[in-house]
Amino acid sequence: MGIEDKVPAGFLLTTVEYLAGYMRMHSVWPATFGLACCAIEMMAVGTPDYDISRFGMERFSATPRQADLMIVAGRVSQKMAPILRQVYDQMPEPKWVISMGVCASSGGMFNNYAIVQGVDHIVPVDIYLPGCPPRPEMLLHAIIALHEQIQNTPLGVNRVAAARAAEAAAMAATPTHQMKGLLA
Amino acid sequence: MTPTVTSEEEPENLPAPPGTSPEPVVMGARQGMFGASDGGDTSGYGGLVAPVLFPAAAVRPYGGYYDEIADHLERALVGGSASYSQAVERVVVDRGEMTVFVAREHLVAVARALRDDPSLRFDMCTGVSGVHYPHDAGRELHAVYHLLSITNGGRRIRLEVSCPDDDPHIPSVVGVYPAGDWHERETWDMFGIQFDGHPALTRILMPDDWPGHPQRKDYPLGGIPVEYKGATIPPPDQRRNYS
Amino acid sequence: MTNQYVPLMFFAAIGLGFAAFSVFVSPFAGPKRYNRAKSDAYECGIEPSPRALGGKVPVKYYLTAMIFIIFDIESVFLYPFAVAFTKLGVFALVEMVLFIVTVFVAYAYVWRRGGLEWD
Repeated sequence: MGIEDKVPAGFLLTTVEYLAGYMRMHSVWPATFGLACCAIEMMAVGTPDYDISRFGMERFSATPRQADLMIVAGRVSQKMAPILRQVYDQMPEPKWVISMGVCASSGGMFNNYAIVQGVDHIVPVDIYLPGCPPRPEMLLHAIIALHEQIQNTPLGVNRVAAARAAEAAAMAATPTHQMKGLLA
Repeated sequence: MTPTVTSEEEPENLPAPPGTSPEPVVMGARQGMFGASDGGDTSGYGGLVAPVLFPAAAVRPYGGYYDEIADHLERALVGGSASYSQAVERVVVDRGEMTVFVAREHLVAVARALRDDPSLRFDMCTGVSGVHYPHDAGRELHAVYHLLSITNGGRRIRLEVSCPDDDPHIPSVVGVYPAGDWHERETWDMFGIQFDGHPALTRILMPDDWPGHPQRKDYPLGGIPVEYKGATIPPPDQRRNYS
Repeated sequence: MTNQYVPLMFFAAIGLGFAAFSVFVSPFAGPKRYNRAKSDAYECGIEPSPRALGGKVPVKYYLTAMIFIIFDIESVFLYPFAVAFTKLGVFALVEMVLFIVTVFVAYAYVWRRGGLEWD
C-alpha cells in the first residue's frame, strides 16, 4: 500500500506492523450501512448500554470518504447491490467489511429471487457475523475480532508471504461438500 | 342446529341464513395442504382435494351502509359515460366488506364519481394491489383499489377490475387519485398490468432491467441450493413437503 | 510581552506544523489505489448525475457562500465592537454603521437573487 508496505524484511518490520496495526485498530470509523432489522441492533450498539464509543467508533460516518469499516447490516436486495458496491469502492484504503446478520452473510431466511445470497458475492468480507439479528454484544464481539485481525495484519514482504500461504492452504483444503464429519 | 334470527338482532356480519343468499362460487380445486409441492410429499395429505370458494354476487339488501353507497353510486353515474349497470359487473358483500367489480373501460368514471359526489366522497385511495388468477381464462389479472372516505365517517369500499393476460391494460386512476402513482408502478412491476395514462410506468421494486413479473403465480421462487458440510439442501420450494 | 504569549505561539507552531506535515507527507507516504468510483462525486451510491467537466460542485452554491460571509464574518467583526464600544466613542459607531450598510448591499443582492429561497 503506502510507505509501510515498502519496509524491507528485517528492518523493524514487526515493529512497524505492530504500530500500524495498533493505530489502525483504534481509529476505525464505521460507515452507516444499516439496511434492515440488523440496523436496529447496530443502533443499539451505539447506545450507552452497549457503547461502541468505548472504541471511539461512535461516529458513524455517512460519507464513505471518511469511513474505514462497512458494517453491512441487513438484507441486500438485487436493486441495492450496485449501490453497495459503489459505496464500498468510494471508501479509501485501508477498509474492512463486517457482514452483520445471516441475511448479509448468506441470504438468511430469504432464499429467493430478490435477495443477494450473501454480500460476499459483491464485496470481500473480513468478519461474518451470524444472527437474526445478532445481539449487540455479538456485534461488539465481531468488532473485537476485527480489531485483533487488524492488529495482526502483516505488511510488506510478510503480507505477500501470508497471501501465498493462504492460497496454498485453500488449494489443499477439503471442499465443503466432502467435509462429512461423523456422517462419513 | 340452524340459528333462528329475529328481526331485532340482525348484525351485518352474521352469515345469512341458508336459502336467502346465493351459494359461494367454486373457482377451482386445491390439491394437498399448503406448502411447497415440487418435491416429494411425505405428509399424507397429498390426496386431499378441496374446492376454492369465492363469495357469489350479493343480493339486495346488502346491509349496513353498503346499500346507501350503491344507491348513491347509481345516482352519481346517471348522465355520465356509463350507467351503473354498464360499469358495475357485480357487487360482493362478504365478511362485512363490500367489493364492487367494475368493467375496466369505466373505471375512471366510477372512481371520479366515488370521489366527487358529496354523499360518497371517497377521498383516499389507500392502495392499488394486483391479483393473478392463472386458471380464470379472460380474467387473469385483477387490480384491486381500496378506497376510504374520511369525511363520511370512515367508510371503506373496494373496487376490483380484471383484465385478460393477452391484453393487460387498465386505465390509470392517477388523474383521480394521485396517490395511486407508485402503487400502480408496483402493480406493473409485480404483475405486468399496464396502466394506460400513467405518467411514468417503470419498475419500482426490482431493478429496471429485470425480466418477468415476480408476483405472478407461475414465477419461480428463484432460490439457490444451500451448501452445508457434507450435504446440499435444495431451495425452499423444492424441498420435501411435511405439512 | 514576551512571557505571556510565547507558549501560545509555540502551540500555534506545533499545530500548524502537524497540519502541514499531514498534508504534504501523505501524497508520498500514502497508498495510491485509484478507481473510477473514488473520483466520482458521492451521491448515496448511485451513479452521479452528469455534470460539466471540472465543475464538481454546482456554481449556484456561491450564493450560500455569500450568505456565510455576510452573516458569519460580519458577526466576527461585531463581537469585539460590542465588547469595547463604550470606550471607542462615536467615531467607531459611525464607522460600524457604515460597515453594516456596506455588507447590507451584498445581503440585498443575495436576497434578490433568490439565495434565501429554500430550493
